[in-house]
Amino acid sequence: MSSFYNNRLALFLFSAPTLILFTLFVVYPLFPQIRISFFDHDGINYNGFVGLDNYRDVLHSSEFWHSAYNNVKIVLISTFVGLPISLLLALVLDRMSPGIRRYFRMTSFMPAVLSVTVIAQMWIAMFEPRFGALNQALSTVGLGDLKRIWLGDPETALPSVAFAFLWQYIGLNMVLFYTGIKSIPKTYYEAALIDGAGFFQTNVRIVLPLLQEVVKFVLVISVIGCLRQFEHVKMMTNGGPGSASRTVIYELYYRAFNMYEFGVGSVIAILFVVACLLITFMINNLVAREKMEF
Amino acid sequence: MVRNINRGVLKAVLIVLGIGWIFPLIWMVLISFKKPGEVYGSPFRLPKQWIFDNYPNALKSFDFTLYFTNSVIYSVGTILITLILGSMFAYCVARMNWKFKSVALSYVALGLIIPAQVTIIPLFMLLRSLHIKDTHLGLILPYSAFALSLCVMMLYAFFRTVPKEMEEAAIMDGCNVYGAFFRIILPIIMPAIATQIVLIFMNTWNEFFMAFILTGQEEFRPLPIGLLNFFVGRGTPEWGMIGAVMVVSSVPTILVYLGFSEKIENALTAGAVLK
Repeated sequence: MSSFYNNRLALFLFSAPTLILFTLFVVYPLFPQIRISFFDHDGINYNGFVGLDNYRDVLHSSEFWHSAYNNVKIVLISTFVGLPISLLLALVLDRMSPGIRRYFRMTSFMPAVLSVTVIAQMWIAMFEPRFGALNQALSTVGLGDLKRIWLGDPETALPSVAFAFLWQYIGLNMVLFYTGIKSIPKTYYEAALIDGAGFFQTNVRIVLPLLQEVVKFVLVISVIGCLRQFEHVKMMTNGGPGSASRTVIYELYYRAFNMYEFGVGSVIAILFVVACLLITFMINNLVAREKMEF
Repeated sequence: MVRNINRGVLKAVLIVLGIGWIFPLIWMVLISFKKPGEVYGSPFRLPKQWIFDNYPNALKSFDFTLYFTNSVIYSVGTILITLILGSMFAYCVARMNWKFKSVALSYVALGLIIPAQVTIIPLFMLLRSLHIKDTHLGLILPYSAFALSLCVMMLYAFFRTVPKEMEEAAIMDGCNVYGAFFRIILPIIMPAIATQIVLIFMNTWNEFFMAFILTGQEEFRPLPIGLLNFFVGRGTPEWGMIGAVMVVSSVPTILVYLGFSEKIENALTAGAVLK
């Protein structure tokens, strides 16, 4: 028996391929990344050591700070608008009959399974100034004054993109919350309902506290998802108008793959991963610190 | 009584909300059946005359087969490599005796917190120096490497629930470790493997960022990138065709979703259990 579980050759054959592939493509690239950040690099050649110049360049670039600010806006919109909606829908869904539940999960989850390209193009159509459904709907209900060139206006470009992005994943977050709610034993809140507690009372006093771990998890993946936002911005506004709706990853892409400043791009990547780790750490330590067991 | 009325109202709200939610999708489908001039009409109206020309025209000007084939190659390749390597690794971490198994597991789990965006620049250079940039392998290998973390964690969790008696019986019958793994263990963990297939398929099929940066040549581009270039090259009068291309290219994922909706939701939410 022990010779079976101690077979050295089998152990090597089973573990080595994964470790090699993972190291080569996920872990190893972090090292050249750090090296490139200290060099002038055009994507093909190292053109000399420049010390901290790339770091200075990024930290003094107003475009970079603006893109970071845009990411903060997206995170705030998704955390304080998107997640509460998802949570509320999940709580309501829990009280509905299986038929309605299935129907609503299907429809709201659908956007999450479609390609980002399709979603982005669809929202370009929705926001189109002349035939777009949004402007047409505004005219129909007599709010024609609010019509805008949604994606071409520096003020509305980023919120419009954020909205499309939010729309795609609200259903996914709802299902995540709902799965969490289902795992809470029904007896906990049935008792409260018998005692005459209403929908809000039951949820605020009983369900939410038991849901902390799930809330924390959804918070982490949604914040990280907002920070790495690139696709919707790239396709819907191309960072524009001007550089109004760039996100950090868009800025990375732009500096490295459009301007051929790979050193600068690497600096942005390093700052980005540090920010992601810090934020994950903060959420894990500041939100819902008491572990609940049930 | 009051509760029943509330419930009825909520039900109606959810039904309307559900349709409103996918309104943009419905609108795109309708546009794909409208005549070019009619696109500018009310978005809330059905086509006056149902036109089917948009579909053949779209397929003529958009090389659907090429991008579709590429997407299939990327997805199938990633699924195969990730599952074969991932299940072997998860098995030897869950079952075999070695000193560094928990270190190895945490190491592979690192992939869950390193976003692909972070290493895209060195990855781009690495693929070039390995001479696999602009080949199918050049995307399949990074995809698999990034997919391994979640796959290993989930299969590992599953292995821990499988009783050892099954393998022990196999060993009594004279099976060696390879035979036991491929003939006894893999069939047992089939449900978990199926969930993984669906999950990796959805992620790979819709992946945009790495494909966008790492595929420089048209002939290796998957569907999302091919679509983008097609859309960028079209003007407003061709919205009917754009709608048709969107519908055609969404059919595979929608079919997979309708067929395996429970599995997909379980797979996408299973990560929550890991934390």
